[in-house]
Amino acid sequence: MPVVQVIRSTHLGDIEWGPGSELYLPVGLPGFESERRMIPVEVPAQRPLVFLQSLDVPDTCFVSLPVRTIFPEYQLQLSEDDRQNLLIDQDRELAIGADVLCLALLVPCDSTVQANLDAPIIINLHNRRCAQSVLSGKFAGYFRLADGGIWEAVC
Amino acid sequence: MLVLRRRAGEAIILGGGIEIEVMEISRTRVKLGVRAPREVSVARREVAVLAEENRKASDFMISRGQQGVGDLVRLMRNLANESSKVLPGLADM
Repeated sequence: MPVVQVIRSTHLGDIEWGPGSELYLPVGLPGFESERRMIPVEVPAQRPLVFLQSLDVPDTCFVSLPVRTIFPEYQLQLSEDDRQNLLIDQDRELAIGADVLCLALLVPCDSTVQANLDAPIIINLHNRRCAQSVLSGKFAGYFRLADGGIWEAVC
Repeated sequence: MLVLRRRAGEAIILGGGIEIEVMEISRTRVKLGVRAPREVSVARREVAVLAEENRKASDFMISRGQQGVGDLVRLMRNLANESSKVLPGLADM
């Protein structure tokens, strides 16, 4: 019988989680390289937000949105390093939602929030490995939430 | 900016203790090797920028403690309204 554990999140309160919900981050996230275990948390009243809660540091919690809720035409681009970290074959075609989840971290900025779609969090749904993709060129770029709840590309 | 021309196998020295060697040059990329003291942080520029963004996102939450999620949701809700079509559900958060 799977063991249910509890993480006492500073931001979300007590969260029960089982081994099947744990994400493994082989290289952590930039700036948080030592935090290798997280769980994705959805709060029904706050969908489509997805919270990424560290299992090692209760203070560390990121807020994200699926990239296509921000930019419906988003196309996934992964570097060779990303594919290695996620254990995805170099030539394999990937479907967002079926093979991987793509989340954009939300960063408060002035009086709004911003998302960098060139650095999405990728979750391999087949093995629950997770990494933040770092693309060196500009593909989708930054988006900012504007009045009316519209996401606007930042020039 | 100081600009230097180097070939594969050649190197430059920074500050006497850091060596950057051009390992390989292909059509569109250059492979660099860096020898530096352990305490010197070495990162691709885009990764360093991203680390700063991630820390900013985390600091926002930490600075507000238990209010962090509520503050962020309120901020987004204030920007949304019932005419929001781009992000379904945001106005209802």
